Amino acid sequence: MNSLSAVSSGPVYTTMTTAVDPSPGTVLLAVRHASKSYNGVPALTDASLELRAGEVHALMGENGAGKSTLIKLLAGVLAPDRIEVEIQGRPATLHSPQAAYGHGLRFIHQELNIVPQLSVAENVFLGQRYPAWFGTLVRWRTLNRRARDVLAMLGVHHIDPSERMARLSPGDQMLVSIARAFAGDDSDNGSRALVYVMDEPTAALTGHEVDLLFEVINGLKARGSAVLYVSHRMEEIFRISDRITVMRDGRVVGTRHAADTHPGELIRLMTGRTLQQVYPPRQTPVGERMRLTVRNLRSHAVRADAFDLREGEIVGVAGLNGSGRTELLRALVGADRRLSGEILLDGRRVSLTPAMAWRNGVAFVPEERRSQGLVLSRSVADNITLPGLAWLSRGGMLIDRGLERRTSRSLGDTVQLKMIGPDQTVRELSGGNQQKAVFARALTRTTRVLLLLDEPTRGVDVGAKVDLYRLIRELSGQGAAILMVSSDLPELIGMTDRILIMRQGVLVDEVPTAGLTEESLLSLCYGETAHERSTDGGR
Amino acid sequence: MSVPQTVGVRPARKRRAFSVARWLRTFGTLIGFLIIVAIFWQQRPTTFMTVTNWLNITQQVSILGVVAFTMTVVMVVGDFDLSVGTMASLVGIIAGTLFQNEQPVAVAVVAGLLAGALGGLINGFLVSYVGISAFVTTLGTMTIFGGLALYISGGTTIFGRVIPEAFGNFGREGLVLGSITIPNLTLLALAVLVLTWFILEQTVFGRRLYAIGGNREASRLAGVRVRFLRLLAFVVSGLGAAAAGLMLASRLASANPKQGDGLMLNAIAAVFLGMTMSEEGEPHVLGTLVGVLILGVLANGLTQLNIDSYIQQILTGGIIILAVTLSSLSRRGQ
Repeated sequence: MNSLSAVSSGPVYTTMTTAVDPSPGTVLLAVRHASKSYNGVPALTDASLELRAGEVHALMGENGAGKSTLIKLLAGVLAPDRIEVEIQGRPATLHSPQAAYGHGLRFIHQELNIVPQLSVAENVFLGQRYPAWFGTLVRWRTLNRRARDVLAMLGVHHIDPSERMARLSPGDQMLVSIARAFAGDDSDNGSRALVYVMDEPTAALTGHEVDLLFEVINGLKARGSAVLYVSHRMEEIFRISDRITVMRDGRVVGTRHAADTHPGELIRLMTGRTLQQVYPPRQTPVGERMRLTVRNLRSHAVRADAFDLREGEIVGVAGLNGSGRTELLRALVGADRRLSGEILLDGRRVSLTPAMAWRNGVAFVPEERRSQGLVLSRSVADNITLPGLAWLSRGGMLIDRGLERRTSRSLGDTVQLKMIGPDQTVRELSGGNQQKAVFARALTRTTRVLLLLDEPTRGVDVGAKVDLYRLIRELSGQGAAILMVSSDLPELIGMTDRILIMRQGVLVDEVPTAGLTEESLLSLCYGETAHERSTDGGR
Repeated sequence: MSVPQTVGVRPARKRRAFSVARWLRTFGTLIGFLIIVAIFWQQRPTTFMTVTNWLNITQQVSILGVVAFTMTVVMVVGDFDLSVGTMASLVGIIAGTLFQNEQPVAVAVVAGLLAGALGGLINGFLVSYVGISAFVTTLGTMTIFGGLALYISGGTTIFGRVIPEAFGNFGREGLVLGSITIPNLTLLALAVLVLTWFILEQTVFGRRLYAIGGNREASRLAGVRVRFLRLLAFVVSGLGAAAAGLMLASRLASANPKQGDGLMLNAIAAVFLGMTMSEEGEPHVLGTLVGVLILGVLANGLTQLNIDSYIQQILTGGIIILAVTLSSLSRRGQ
């Protein structure tokens, strides 16, 4: 993948390099004193930021720290209360998306604005005039060739422009949407992309796709553009960025050179906490009693010959995307049909369906809180009590609203759920609070045997994560066994006692967490030995 | 990240403050209903706004009400039941045929309700366990029930002396309270209304039905036995259709193989009208009641204004679309 040479020698769009000041370090975009409040609640207070030519500038902060608001002001979709913008040293106003575009700002959103039914080439040139005979008959081959050129400039050669968008992987779709931000430069003269703003571009990408994206970003850097890169992922930020700006509570709390800082400092800036406080240490030793024993578990998607969980133990499930981590939990809880499997809870043989699971003290926190966890149209109380209605009612038959409210209020307090009250609709809660509501549900019964957690902290900001970690620890301290799927490796290493390794739908290994590093855990997921991987350059 | 975010506590409490759109969304349909009433009152000051006429309206809508209230249960789960109209016809025919064979009223009523429950069971099984869409399933059973009604009756109306007097009188008589008489059918519809409201709003069963309607997969993973409850919802609507068929046969003192067919569309329309009155667009039985009353008042008032019944049909359809449109427009602003 020799992308950089393709970019620098690209013969088709030679004019593109002229508008961008090639000397690195020039300030392309300066924002000062940006402020914005909603209904008197400040979302952004006096934020300032400078983007220089040829730099990747990471923007970090918890949900609600003001990153999105700042980006929306740049994109011209929100009216600021106050802002000063300079572009290449000249004052500018960004009062509309068109103005932002005209000043050379390009936005690549996490939710892709693509049309899945159309081809790659059509998506690249969406909204522009396609080349056509007599202005009507589209010249498909020309269109495809131009799309291929644009992709090639980004160093992307493996995507067929005539392929339907829907058939592409999420990563490739992301690359195409970047190509679109790029393609605009050819047609409208004068407007040249200076700054690319990428809002969590890797959220849906696999490791290899992230590598590709980063090569493209490095290409943009080499062309003298600036990239504002928003992400929660520490490891990526240190890989790609030159400078890092951290926001908290609507303010910029600091800008650091990536080379001069470390994750601990950034977490402290984001949260006011130190790294050691993120993963609370185990307070009580793992018990002797076996809470869960699984033998010969099979579903259409997974195979797990044997594993056990002890009282108070936290066991992680690691694996690449698609390795069957989620499916392991689903087969266990009976959400997917089991072909075979012996499941013992506290030594008692059970045949679990989701309903049976809850009745037996097994709580399941699914991966996607919005589609699988919550009934968004209902109240917080309704959602928290849903699995527990059998005992949070009069005789299992009649609704007891007083009891529901008290229960959900006290469970809400336990998980530090911020809500107006138990009657508030779940849809109105922020993502982190929605996740806490799903969690609170798992606590409705006092006797808890087993918790199955699938990506329990995905999309949750650091502050809420810390709350959830503390809660998981507390539950394990009370004797519950916890099986936790996560693609967040530091989280697995920080929280678990043992880790089950899944590869291609099979439970292949089981390792004690002590002594694991992110890298050694990742090699286990890939199925390589540590030695092979280190010779591979750690990729 | 595309949603506007604010720091700290989200300003949800602020949004709770008075908002015209929110208010209109919840009360618009009710206001529309009151406007319709006011217009008829103004047009027919002596006959429309009288106790007798209103009791008359409640009797006229009682049968539709029973179908619509129980249809609400199915729609809460996110399904719907097209077969209720022909089921009502079929149950009328079953009762009539039993009367022809000199069976007592109790036997006819029980047999009719059992037929309704069985029909609901078949619908529910096909939708919930076999996995056929509610539209296709109930379209099919609608046709089957209609065909059965025609086949059993031979296409003729059962009427006259074969219908027991007690059965025929029930639908015309009522509870006498001094100078007014509350029709039996009104009382029956009221009972079904209270029962359905109680089931949907006050029982664990109803809560779970709403959860299924809101998010089927999340409910299943939260331990709700989704398939069984969906099946039960269809049994409820089958029972409601059967009750309506019996009420209709009693009121007309006859059984025609087509007499209940028209109930289905009006019942669904009533539920939709009711849904416009809820914040989240969920069906709820008190909303359905308003929907039923709107349809009933329109029919009654337009008849009093001597408006052609064909025109009535056109107006009714227009009003349904208007109400749902206004509601969805005010929702779009969110």
